[in-house]
Amino acid sequence: MKTTKHIWAALLVGLLVLPAALAQTVRFTEHKLKNGLRVILSEDHSAPTYSIVVTYNVGSRDERQGRTGFAHLFEHMMFQGSENVGKGEHFIIIANNGGGMNGNTTSDRTVYFETLPANQLDLGLFLEADRMRSLAINQSNLDNQRTTVQEERRQRYDNQPYGRSFETLLATTYDNFAYKHSTIGSMEDLNAATVKDVAEFFRRYYAPNNAVLSMAGDFKSDEVLSKIEKYFGSVPSQPPPPAPDMAEPKQTAERRKTLDDPLAQLTRIDIAYKIPPGNTPDWYALAVLGDVLSTGQSSRLYQKLVREKQVALQANAGAMERPGPSLFIATLMVTPGKDPAEVEKLFYEEVERLKSETVTDAEMEKVRMSVRRGEVEQLQGTLYRAQALGENAVFYNDPDVINTSSEKIKKVTKQDIQKVARTYLTEANRTVVVTTPKPRAEGVR
Amino acid sequence: MKRHTLIAAIMLALTVGMLAAAGQDIAPETSKVERKNRAPVSKEVLHVSLPKATERTLSNGLTVLVLEDHRLPFISLQYNISAAGPIFEPSDLPGLASVTAQMLREGTKTKTSLQIAEEIARLGAAISASSGYGSSVTVISASGLSDNFEQWFTLTNDLLLNPSFPADELNRLKQRMKTQLRQQRASPGFLSNEMFSRAVYGSHPAAVVSSTVASIDAMTPEALAKWHRERYAPQNAILGITGDVRASELVPKLEKWLADWKKTELKEVLPPNPQIVPARRVLLVDRPNSVQTSVMLGNIAIDRRDPDFIPVSIMNHVLGGGSAARLFLNLREEKGYTYGVYSSVTALKYPGPWRAYGDVRTEVTDGAITEFFREFQRIRDERVPESELEDSKRSQVASFALSLESPNELLGYAIIRKIYGFPADYWDTYPAKIMAVTAADIQRVARKYINPDNIQVVAVGDVSKIKPVMEKYGPVEVYDAEGKKVGN
Repeated sequence: MKTTKHIWAALLVGLLVLPAALAQTVRFTEHKLKNGLRVILSEDHSAPTYSIVVTYNVGSRDERQGRTGFAHLFEHMMFQGSENVGKGEHFIIIANNGGGMNGNTTSDRTVYFETLPANQLDLGLFLEADRMRSLAINQSNLDNQRTTVQEERRQRYDNQPYGRSFETLLATTYDNFAYKHSTIGSMEDLNAATVKDVAEFFRRYYAPNNAVLSMAGDFKSDEVLSKIEKYFGSVPSQPPPPAPDMAEPKQTAERRKTLDDPLAQLTRIDIAYKIPPGNTPDWYALAVLGDVLSTGQSSRLYQKLVREKQVALQANAGAMERPGPSLFIATLMVTPGKDPAEVEKLFYEEVERLKSETVTDAEMEKVRMSVRRGEVEQLQGTLYRAQALGENAVFYNDPDVINTSSEKIKKVTKQDIQKVARTYLTEANRTVVVTTPKPRAEGVR
Repeated sequence: MKRHTLIAAIMLALTVGMLAAAGQDIAPETSKVERKNRAPVSKEVLHVSLPKATERTLSNGLTVLVLEDHRLPFISLQYNISAAGPIFEPSDLPGLASVTAQMLREGTKTKTSLQIAEEIARLGAAISASSGYGSSVTVISASGLSDNFEQWFTLTNDLLLNPSFPADELNRLKQRMKTQLRQQRASPGFLSNEMFSRAVYGSHPAAVVSSTVASIDAMTPEALAKWHRERYAPQNAILGITGDVRASELVPKLEKWLADWKKTELKEVLPPNPQIVPARRVLLVDRPNSVQTSVMLGNIAIDRRDPDFIPVSIMNHVLGGGSAARLFLNLREEKGYTYGVYSSVTALKYPGPWRAYGDVRTEVTDGAITEFFREFQRIRDERVPESELEDSKRSQVASFALSLESPNELLGYAIIRKIYGFPADYWDTYPAKIMAVTAADIQRVARKYINPDNIQVVAVGDVSKIKPVMEKYGPVEVYDAEGKKVGN
């Protein structure tokens, strides 16, 4: 079945250079294979390259108790070979043909992507189709990638200052297991994963009807569609996976935790407020609010906490985008010798100011300019576009959010910002995690 | 909106990925890389010719490179100012170039820090200035929409030409920098890079990777103004611009806009070159509570103009230039020691090091170092198999196509050509030069630059656990996280 979301203006098709004034919208077409694979194509001949992205509608939110970290461990298995691709060969083939590739996992989706020269169109399709159809699942690959993922955990979390702060914040804020645990997972749970788990996860979640294939770049849509049919058409569909329970109870009192960190040098304060999912009117208002608070050196937190009062080395705040119950998060790095309680109080004063008075025209204008700039920048590379199309399809069942989100941000009013500040940025709705440097034992070994 | 930095940072914190941005162990060895060669690959390498920049020299000596690209209503530019980088700093003021660059945004003759910040945001522009340690240049970068280009470019030039270095803003920056000095010592990446730079560069100024409390205290508005006055000279600078701009219209305007930037007598005179360190050393930095060891191994190799640059690049690519390279496939994909290991070559106007590096869990430190040396020995002792060499060469040539997506990358190529004085057809002939490299060339440069007898081995980790196993790799020196030597 083929549905066309945006009709290409006839005069644009085949032009090597898109006229700048018309190039502010991401144009794309949508299609669906019989096995349920959703396909989104954004043809663009401005460079001899293309990007291919497969977004699977699965993430750490789908993990069960005792298997945290599994969705990401599984992602690593997807580079371990399939019927026609050897273990590790994926890396080699892409590199040898001048491409870029990677995969990553969040709570809500898992993506795989390649950017390649345009003359290697079949290659990207073949690699993605082969592993969707016939992943090589065996004990030695699992053991090997388990150790790699455990090293990733050590390198990015356990061996870094503040490596556990964010994990603690999630665990304290959320009540529902889906978002309560981190995507990297625990060492114990990673150790518990079995080959049977891998096979079952693959069957359930890595079916074409649970995936979106999005491509952007230098190809002809008709030609690539027939190739997609050829490579992916025979991959069997599966019963749709169960929808995860994302319900998150309302928070009624402030939550607070203190964390000792032997690797940290400064105190850090993380504050999270529960907010609605992305792509909702309130979420857009909170995104603009985050901009006013902390984007750029003219922002309120930088001017007040970092520059004027010098109580914080860094002060950031913003709305996280999640398709489920999301968070507005502030992170404050406390200047040594300053009282963390004082820094926290100054932050709340800025929050209260957002409730008592509306933001200025100048601040709204800055946001509008930053949106305009973002609209242009998102057209620069093929990978960003292909990823955003796929993610919006998986998150909101609407790839066109790549275009409509700008309009929705521009529609946010000063009153909207005041309203969401009053509704969500409240004491009862917040969770605070304070990470303090733990003094080390003196002495040299 | 989705690209805003904070949200991006949060998403990054939530995202776990496939790759990093790069003995007594019991890891399974049964997991071998395998090639089936069934994927449909076009044998034709997509040869691309990079667009050529229009080049002009203004009357004040400034070189201007314009790369027109009208795909989008967007413009990016950079001033690349030679003879203004940290390697020319007075030895008692490390950080002077960087602080001067950062202070450009903090006040001009007519604008306050806050006014500058407000105007940048109001214009939807981005303007930044930096001068990285070890570098010979200061770089000022700016970008924004083409319809208000003149406004944000005028602001950029105001920062470049009329900074006022206000004392109160400088004091604020100095306080923040002192905190950062402390904070950076928590990072294993900073500690390994610091120790490695000291080890390989010796008395060369590139050994410096950070300011000090003393140098920060000693920096005054006068010192910054003097550095700016003496070092930001147009005859040593390149202005590269790419995007929706017309060279023919822009260049005459530049003469007018930059008329106050006067030519001086300053020429870039490099300090004496760093030399290859003659003997192997093992330098341990103690970071108690570490669960991994961050290792970095290497020595001084070549500068960017060296005729060996291309063979060394290919050699590096085979050894550790990514996830298809030997180090990655061996230490990660087969041994499971690490999340990623890589190698790189730093080649600037003066010789810089090649290095191999990665973070490995503490228990397999010994096994990992053994494998590093095994790979070093292999690339010296055995000729790279023809197919592996061809793959590596193809990879580098084909990746040129991807750079066509990025106007900034194309501008970077044009600037590199100019900085090093390469001929006009340098990038046109580059693919052919890559394809001409032979297995014998690779072996020759591997033997010349990767010498196990003099490799500097840096390891940051829990010294109580790793010192016993590191002693077999050479004479050990132990440092604390402040960089002070505390034992052998």
